[in-house]
Amino acid sequence: MIELRNDSLVCTFPGTVAHGTKLIISFMKTLRVPDDGRSYPLPPGLGLFPLEHVDDSRQVVPESWNEHGGVMLPMYQSEAMWIDFTSSYVDEHEVRYPFAVKVAAGKMNAITGEFWSNGISRDPQDYMVVPGQPWLDGYSVDKGFIRQFVAMPLGEGYSAEGQITGSEDVGGLQIAVYPMKKEAFEKRWPRKPPIIEKPLYLRGGSGTVTMLSVAEKGMGMAAGGRIRQEIYEDHFDLSEWDLNTSSRCFVHLANSQAWRAITGNHPSTKAPTAKQYSLHGLPWFDYYSDRKSLLGSDILNKLKSVIQFGKARRQNPLPENDSVDPGNIIRIDKPQSLDQVREWSGRSE
Amino acid sequence: MRQVAARVGIEPSYLSKIERGLPAPLSEGKIRALSLDLGENPDFFLALSGKVSSDIQEIIRKRPELFAELIREMRKMPDHAVLRLVREVRDGNW
Repeated sequence: MIELRNDSLVCTFPGTVAHGTKLIISFMKTLRVPDDGRSYPLPPGLGLFPLEHVDDSRQVVPESWNEHGGVMLPMYQSEAMWIDFTSSYVDEHEVRYPFAVKVAAGKMNAITGEFWSNGISRDPQDYMVVPGQPWLDGYSVDKGFIRQFVAMPLGEGYSAEGQITGSEDVGGLQIAVYPMKKEAFEKRWPRKPPIIEKPLYLRGGSGTVTMLSVAEKGMGMAAGGRIRQEIYEDHFDLSEWDLNTSSRCFVHLANSQAWRAITGNHPSTKAPTAKQYSLHGLPWFDYYSDRKSLLGSDILNKLKSVIQFGKARRQNPLPENDSVDPGNIIRIDKPQSLDQVREWSGRSE
Repeated sequence: MRQVAARVGIEPSYLSKIERGLPAPLSEGKIRALSLDLGENPDFFLALSGKVSSDIQEIIRKRPELFAELIREMRKMPDHAVLRLVREVRDGNW
């Protein structure tokens, strides 16, 4: 089951996994790294994209959105995003519950570049394991490198979907989550005896309805600049995943104009450019783990980046694309601890 | 009291009346300002004044029958049962 809470997707599996266990998926606004052939550290999180149920706007969204169900969020053209995954800590076992998470954009798998299929596959591995993989910033194009998710209008050919399939009918993001089987979890991490705390005695204290067309208003994810990010190998056995208990969600991407028309709300402010951000010495991030990482997808490695695709058509899709030298890089090795967050909480404009 | 009254933008004598439980009607905006200044929940203060937040009124006005029925159905439910009401994200055909 997936719920929408505080602009995040909360995936729970009542009755099948440890009580209260959940995976939270959030969509982070971020700055767009320059698409200049260089590789950059991880850009910061600049707040969550707002999320709404598609069903709340049934009469004004395109019919295909109603058919897909799910949620929607607003993105400006050429705006970037990363996805945050946080699984809950299970006190009795003293570990975070593992989930296999599959992400696609325009139904093209972001790890393998292959067309969407239900279930998970190991050859090649088409999913990520959380915890261990705290974020996904884009398409896995090479070992240790991704190309950033950058929103572009459907119908212009920029998206990975358009470049791989030759058509842009789907757009959006697709996510499926599979929990570890409860038996496998309890076998790997046996229940710890409860800690009995000694009692403490000294405690302190209606207008015209207009149907929008996907071709005009939908967005797809294109491949932006290169970022250093590993996608880690699954170190569990494939049989430990519960493939009968999945949750999945279609995330529609509305451009700012469509978002206003659909919801009546203004999308939030635009993220700063990488140049503006770096000029102020604000932090970038690197994530270190000793886990083995995947090689990256040959299919996705052949994608033209937004700049490359635009140049071939004599277009300039990214007017603010100046190279930067990130000087302030924060190393993160425990992303889900409270004192290490990949966010900059200042104003985004 | 004078400082709170100044921050909220009302006369201290008026705030004193409120404190003593005497009739002293305040606008929704002032009630919100007062509750935020005192670190209290605005909905709680509005309810004490016999008011309902305008955004909630707007929600009810859009679907009056549905919400009236829902609230009446829920009036005897314990808090934990009310909080357990969840809405699943609908999955369709991809």
